[in-house]
Amino acid sequence: MALRTASVPVPSRRRFRLPRDAMLGYLLLAPAILLLLVLVGYPFLTAVVMSLQKKLIGQAVAPFIGLDNYISLLMDRTFWVVVRNVLIFAGASVAIKLVIGTAVALALNESMPARGIIRSIMILPWALPTLVAVLIWMWMYSDVGGVFNSVLMGAGIVERPILFLSDPVLAMVSVIVVNIWRGFPFFTITLLAGLQTVGGDQYDAAKVDGANIVARFRHVTLPGLAPVMAVVTLLSTIFTLNDFAIVWLLTKGGPGNATDVLSTLTYKVAIRGLELGKGVAVSVLMLPLLIVLIVLLTRFINKREGAG
Amino acid sequence: MSDVIRVVDARSAANTGRGSLRTELIIKRTLQWSVLVTALVIVVFPLYWMLVTAFDPPSLSYTSQISLLPKRLTFSAMAQLLREYDFLLWMWNSATVAIISTLLAVVVGTLAAYSLARLRYPGRGFLAGVFFLAYIFPATLLVVPVFVILSVLGLTDDYIGLILSYLIFTVPFCTWMLRAYLTSIPPELEEAALVDGATRVQAMLLIILPLAAPGVAAATIFAFTLSWNEYLYAFILMTDSTKMTLSPGMTKLVFGDIFLWGMIMSGATLMSLPVVLLYFVAQRFVVSGLTAGSVKG
Repeated sequence: MALRTASVPVPSRRRFRLPRDAMLGYLLLAPAILLLLVLVGYPFLTAVVMSLQKKLIGQAVAPFIGLDNYISLLMDRTFWVVVRNVLIFAGASVAIKLVIGTAVALALNESMPARGIIRSIMILPWALPTLVAVLIWMWMYSDVGGVFNSVLMGAGIVERPILFLSDPVLAMVSVIVVNIWRGFPFFTITLLAGLQTVGGDQYDAAKVDGANIVARFRHVTLPGLAPVMAVVTLLSTIFTLNDFAIVWLLTKGGPGNATDVLSTLTYKVAIRGLELGKGVAVSVLMLPLLIVLIVLLTRFINKREGAG
Repeated sequence: MSDVIRVVDARSAANTGRGSLRTELIIKRTLQWSVLVTALVIVVFPLYWMLVTAFDPPSLSYTSQISLLPKRLTFSAMAQLLREYDFLLWMWNSATVAIISTLLAVVVGTLAAYSLARLRYPGRGFLAGVFFLAYIFPATLLVVPVFVILSVLGLTDDYIGLILSYLIFTVPFCTWMLRAYLTSIPPELEEAALVDGATRVQAMLLIILPLAAPGVAAATIFAFTLSWNEYLYAFILMTDSTKMTLSPGMTKLVFGDIFLWGMIMSGATLMSLPVVLLYFVAQRFVVSGLTAGSVKG
């Protein structure tokens, strides 16, 4: 008797729950979706439209000029220099961040005294404002009183200060170093989290079988960690491709265009050069590469979600 | 799998005995600590140098004499910074903008995340993807149109404009991170409440949200940090010195005529303080939240 009264309402509620859940679902999602439409969707469409116009700062009329902005960019040698720069900047930064991040994560994954404190310290560069990281390095790079030059000159290794930020090749290296310093902890923390799920039985089995440390890393740790590595590498590539603050503050894209990346070129053309339409076209041209990265990323994440 | 075992077997034949195990442990510990010590030096030295410069500013005479240890401790550079610039005002502006945009994003993001993680309806997977896309969408592409739109509305040099542009990344970030966190809470708890006659909204407010508190805390900390640290939007949107936040304000210090590094490093120290304190106090949330948010997402 009691059983029957209890079991009757349940199916009827089940039948009603679907549409009611859906309504509540859309309702709870509405504010966020609305914000995204207004704050991301609308500006994005504006960007695409602007890139097809001759839109200048301070002029009300913006004539439609089709693909002229794109064509003049693609014909411009500077644009291709900048594309090469951003590929070097992002490629080198991300590759080295991956290596350092992985090494530190593996080292931190072992039991040791003061592990929590060491881990907290390792996160610091990533928690700090980019601006702060850049200012500190700018000061260390300085040719007047900067610590690197002072030490090198004091030790008699160099006679004149090294121009870390005004030699074309060194400037790129210097900018990459700052990006690595600030960005490697992101790899470390995510990979450290990934390491918690790796190993286990396989790792023990390999150990019992006497596989040495290198073999265990290559055949157990690395394959287990690979999916996390792929995701964090792709995410970092997307963020590094868009970095503005580091390059802008350290070199303003100079000397010449030696360290200009797409974000600084956008700023220079759109805001400094007053050509809003053409400036936006610079960053729209980043989209094809970005789409490839996003498609790869989605694939890896879906795979992980499917497996986990 | 069988490959792994075969390789492992092959190696084990050549590599048995207690001696090799001990050697291996020594190699491993040496490797581990050399990596850690190197990394710690690389991480800590620049921070140390910031503090040394802030509290023992270099004289402006052009000497190559340098001491790696501070000779004295003085607040003169910091005092000069606070006297000559609106630094405290910038800090207040940064705090206002970051706190308001964080609160808005966490509320809106939590509701959206609950919806995406817990309720079933057509289009859910697609909508979740939209949030992820928005999270990684490049600010470089949005900043110019946002600048144009806000100019038309008269919202440049205005906190409202900056807060709105911070919602561009805080809302998708909070939603995405909390969705992952909420998905990890077992559905049985909520289903039990529903069977007992609770409504969906009751179950969400009384069962799920309390359990999700650590995730919400982590999302709050991250959203605040992202806003506090943000550079590009603040740099382009805020040009009035009395409305500026720390990012454009500090940039003014750097692009002046002479580089007063003592003052700049004092400013950098003060700007870092809130986020560093937040991270040390709330480390537990941060690590668990990051684990759920960025990778498993």
